[in-house]
Amino acid sequence: LAEPSGPRSVRQLREAEEAAPVFQYTGKAAKRKDRVFVWGFCYSGALGVPSFVKPDVGWKKPRRIQPTPYRLETEEKISSAACGYGFTLLSSKTADITKVWGMGLNKDSQLGFQRSIRDRTKGYQYVLEPSPIPLPLEKPQETRVLQVSCGRAHSLVLTDSEGVFTMGNNSYGQCGRKVVEDETYSESYLIHQLKEFDSRVVQVVCGQDHSLFRTKKGAVYACGWGADGQTGLGHYNITSVPTKLCGDIAGVNIIQVSSYGDCCLAVSDEGDVFGWGSSEYLQLASVTETTQVNVPRHLPFKIGKIKEAACGGTGNIVLTEEGNVFVWGYGILGKGPNLIETAVPEMIPPSLFGWSDFNPDIRVAHVRCGLSQFAALTNRGELFVWGKNLRGCLGTGRMEDQYFPWRVTVPGEVVDVACGVDHMVSMVKSF
Amino acid sequence: LNAAARRAPRHHVRFLPAPAARDGGVAGLVATRVPVLADHPLVRGPRFRRLKMGAGHRLDVKASGVFVLGIGHGNKLLTDLYNCHLTKVYTVGGLFGKATDDFSDTGKLVEKTTFDHITREKLERILAVIQGTNHKALLMYSNIDMKTQEAYELAVKGLIRPMGKSPPIITAIRCLQFTLPEFQLEIHCLHETQQYLRKIVHEIGLELKSSAVCTQVRRIRDGVFTLDDALLRTQWNLESIQNAIWDCQLKVKTELEKTL
Repeated sequence: LAEPSGPRSVRQLREAEEAAPVFQYTGKAAKRKDRVFVWGFCYSGALGVPSFVKPDVGWKKPRRIQPTPYRLETEEKISSAACGYGFTLLSSKTADITKVWGMGLNKDSQLGFQRSIRDRTKGYQYVLEPSPIPLPLEKPQETRVLQVSCGRAHSLVLTDSEGVFTMGNNSYGQCGRKVVEDETYSESYLIHQLKEFDSRVVQVVCGQDHSLFRTKKGAVYACGWGADGQTGLGHYNITSVPTKLCGDIAGVNIIQVSSYGDCCLAVSDEGDVFGWGSSEYLQLASVTETTQVNVPRHLPFKIGKIKEAACGGTGNIVLTEEGNVFVWGYGILGKGPNLIETAVPEMIPPSLFGWSDFNPDIRVAHVRCGLSQFAALTNRGELFVWGKNLRGCLGTGRMEDQYFPWRVTVPGEVVDVACGVDHMVSMVKSF
Repeated sequence: LNAAARRAPRHHVRFLPAPAARDGGVAGLVATRVPVLADHPLVRGPRFRRLKMGAGHRLDVKASGVFVLGIGHGNKLLTDLYNCHLTKVYTVGGLFGKATDDFSDTGKLVEKTTFDHITREKLERILAVIQGTNHKALLMYSNIDMKTQEAYELAVKGLIRPMGKSPPIITAIRCLQFTLPEFQLEIHCLHETQQYLRKIVHEIGLELKSSAVCTQVRRIRDGVFTLDDALLRTQWNLESIQNAIWDCQLKVKTELEKTL
């Protein structure tokens, strides 16, 4: 008994609609996935995508720059990432044997020894995809890697119970071991372990050729090159053993240390900021006229209680408790092309980060610094970048320098970002 | 309108012959002010035979809300208002669970999906991303060189706006109500069409891994004109129109002077 065809009535349409099948694309318990996005200069291999450097198809050309965020597939959830000068380290808090992966330049074994498949006695000079770094752990299935940090040619790996592991170039003692004359750093198996601190190390930071360690008790240790005073130990010589810093931070509980070039900043639990190191670009000009400061000095800024600080090559940035961002130093600071250098911190207006009468509760949650660029993360998970766009490292899709904060379109909520010289890595939660 | 009082007729001086006082004799001329015959109502006819009316920004059949019209000389102000590129505010109502071919609830059904996994937080996250990408488009289409100091200053004040042709841009979007499966959004936009707003609702549904259709589009503000200035269907008579024009004159003038 077939139904007569023709224009269907409203009742027929409604019945057809109710009888239609319902599709389910995702359930209530669907978890948000963790993703890693990379962008910047590709030829060093630091982005971890081999097809950028050596395309798998013959007619494709190698990609020199990745101007927008590109997703990097990782086996585990990456909890900490660090960008050095042409290489990247990724680490995960897993209890598996492989906890740290590295990619990029390996000419000074800053990624450990990566055995070459073609010749089992030699190692790779460039690592094009995230390769596991074997750490000499006593309890490899219990220790967890908390944080990684990269400098110009050395890297530091912080674990929760076995101290700090250092690898890479040690010509200035930045790996925390005695300088050996005429040592060849490439294809070296040596990974040094540092355990002698007054309490457990909770943060490691790499400057260009020096290393800083912050312990749980609030003390700061340093080793490495000191010609600009960046070790903060009161002299301008090389230090090859981590030594405790004095000066204005003696006795102060430091909650965060930061460095990337030759200047260092430390934030105390009371919201004060201390600086030492190179001041050639007016980073410490508020306390001294000299261009090198080798003892930590308190920077008397009246901008409020400081929560976080980040040091770049020529400029510095701090974040206060109220969520305001202040910059000072030299270069593209983020307040238009007219502000090139300043010794006193200048505030970046919050309206540039998306604050308006419509959205009054947008705040900047974290600030990060690369060599000549800055990054800010808001509490809504948006990433803003500004500074010199060296080989596409800003990720905006354009090759021009950015003089005020600009959004980077990332498909997800940005949780953390690591800035390097010419590339950046971000950890993102999908929607 | 035609029954309203007209301008008083003009007067002019004519030399009319005086009424003759006696037979034959000289007829003198007396100067008198008489109304000009050309101004007489029977000669001129009704004051208005047609009215020229122009429309402001388009509003399609399925949408409702504020619709700006210009009468007579006001049509010239319409082009100026268009060149000001002011934002319009819409209340858009949506329904999760259905996808239709024309993105509204009266269209042909394409797919039905589940929507119980959607929370207000997820929706707000998607809205934040939409705002972010549209803010970038706003800065890019405004044709200002990003490297200049004035671009920085305008960006700080939030005054960067495309002053020429551009694709539809949403300047602000937020969620007013959220009761599954219905939700209501307030959207501030530029250069848009109502079908574009329905498409945005559909795309929000897709981003949340479900589907959505648009049930209502209502314009609540068009530049300087809000719902309070708008006349209801029952108020479409001469007096209310005249009062409305009178009230809005000042607002329109200040806005034009500010922008142009």
